[in-house]
Amino acid sequence: MSPADFLLEPFRHDFMQRALVTSALLGLVGGLLGPLLVLRRMALMGDALSHSLLPGIALAWLLCGPSPTALLIGALLAGLLTALGGAVVSRLTVVKEDAAFGALFLVFFAVGIALLSRLPTRFNLTHFLFGNILGVTTSDLHLVIAIALGTVIALYVFRRPLLLETFDPGFLRATGGPGRFIHAGFLVLVVLNLVAGLQTMGVVLVLGLFLLPAVIARLWCDRIAALLAVSSALALAGSVAGIVLSYHAGLPSGPAIVLCLGAALAVSLLLAPGPGLIPRTWARLRPAGRVRHTPD
Amino acid sequence: MRDLTVRHRRVTALRGVTADLPCGRAIAICGPNGAGKSTLLRALLGWHPLASGEIRIGDAHPRHALPRLAYLPQRQAIDWDFPLTVRGVVALGRYPALGLFRRFSATDHTRITEALAELDLTALADRPLRTLSGGQQQRVFLARALAQGADIFLLDEPFSGLDLRATGELVRIIRSWVARGRTVIAVVHDLALVRRHFDYALLLDTDLVSCGPPVDALTDDFIRRAYHLPSESDEALQSLRTVDFPL
Repeated sequence: MSPADFLLEPFRHDFMQRALVTSALLGLVGGLLGPLLVLRRMALMGDALSHSLLPGIALAWLLCGPSPTALLIGALLAGLLTALGGAVVSRLTVVKEDAAFGALFLVFFAVGIALLSRLPTRFNLTHFLFGNILGVTTSDLHLVIAIALGTVIALYVFRRPLLLETFDPGFLRATGGPGRFIHAGFLVLVVLNLVAGLQTMGVVLVLGLFLLPAVIARLWCDRIAALLAVSSALALAGSVAGIVLSYHAGLPSGPAIVLCLGAALAVSLLLAPGPGLIPRTWARLRPAGRVRHTPD
Repeated sequence: MRDLTVRHRRVTALRGVTADLPCGRAIAICGPNGAGKSTLLRALLGWHPLASGEIRIGDAHPRHALPRLAYLPQRQAIDWDFPLTVRGVVALGRYPALGLFRRFSATDHTRITEALAELDLTALADRPLRTLSGGQQQRVFLARALAQGADIFLLDEPFSGLDLRATGELVRIIRSWVARGRTVIAVVHDLALVRRHFDYALLLDTDLVSCGPPVDALTDDFIRRAYHLPSESDEALQSLRTVDFPL
């Protein structure tokens, strides 16, 4: 099989074309949200949020069957309930927000698993946990397109307050900006995109599509615009490579995508100028060499 | 500022503070930890609902005077690794005036360039924020405040964590701003610094202990009262009074 065949053969199937468009869109947008999550120090909170979506999905499935809209609403409610719950617990008690989130998401996740294992269908639990690209229907695709479009528009419109709120929330407030609205709005965007990514990535790994590209890009970029562009491009490339890998290796799509991005992370940790292991070692060795060769 | 009281839930942070702050002066807010110094700054910004009293800036309610105010957060509130350049941070100062959609105009760029030049940052404009020293980082934020176009500057503990040279530099900047008719209101712990370089001092201990020119407001009696120092031991008082910067 030629390399071109290797890349193109999967996309002869309808379901793989849908998967390609879905994962490309998810990557593009997830790659934009990721750096903001990282810069806002919400990386682990995002992971907690994604796990907590499970009971919402399970309940929606029990009540309404496999309707994408019902799943979306269920997941959204579960995510917002966790976000709100974490904020309330940390506000009213001495427990800090990260611990409150950690505790809540574990409970939510357990409820979700319990509900799903009681489902009377032959439905496979691993599809929810790790993603099932074969299951992307046309209506799933429409949902992903709508969420991606909405997210890009919202990010563009609110780019200035969002950047201010991320970098220096006090400044935004001091100039009369809508700080809380921006924070809450950002959380809603994250939950929406987590939901959009569920079918492809599964609840356990969906954050990988946001987080890994952002972390890799952060190793290479020192400007916010470059960071967003590189992260988005990486997420796009990673998700397309991932579904090709998933097709040929018979892996669930979630782990396949995260593995591709993980490889890029490993390479970046070695090579990135500045933080990378090889440039750093090189820089440490070189001055010593120069001193040794200096005349007199 | 009249009969100002601010409560955080049940804890009273400021009680019945009445003061008239002069324009175009360097004003220091002093007092022990928990005396309500930062609360007072934030009340000026209209962040805290007032339990009683009122604040007027010029003739206006703080909410209407926001464009005149620039606020500098405490240094530890900032992520210094944030991927922005010096010019990028100063440009943020124009965002409030630009709103969501308006593009940067030539005037905006001029203001940014002028602010950079005034704080001696032109050469550093393209450097990432994290490569700067503490004093330089402080100047970047002062430049952002300038680019905002404000004329009243609220600085929350601007001197904390600065070395001697950076402290001297900041004093010089504050004095030159005041000379241009700008108003600087800063939370300052170092009373000697206040005596030497500020025109007006507010001594707080939840209540207003004293206010006026530092000579009158920072007398031994008032300081003892604000910091709850026993009257017989003068050692602590001495240390508050005489620590001085050889500027």
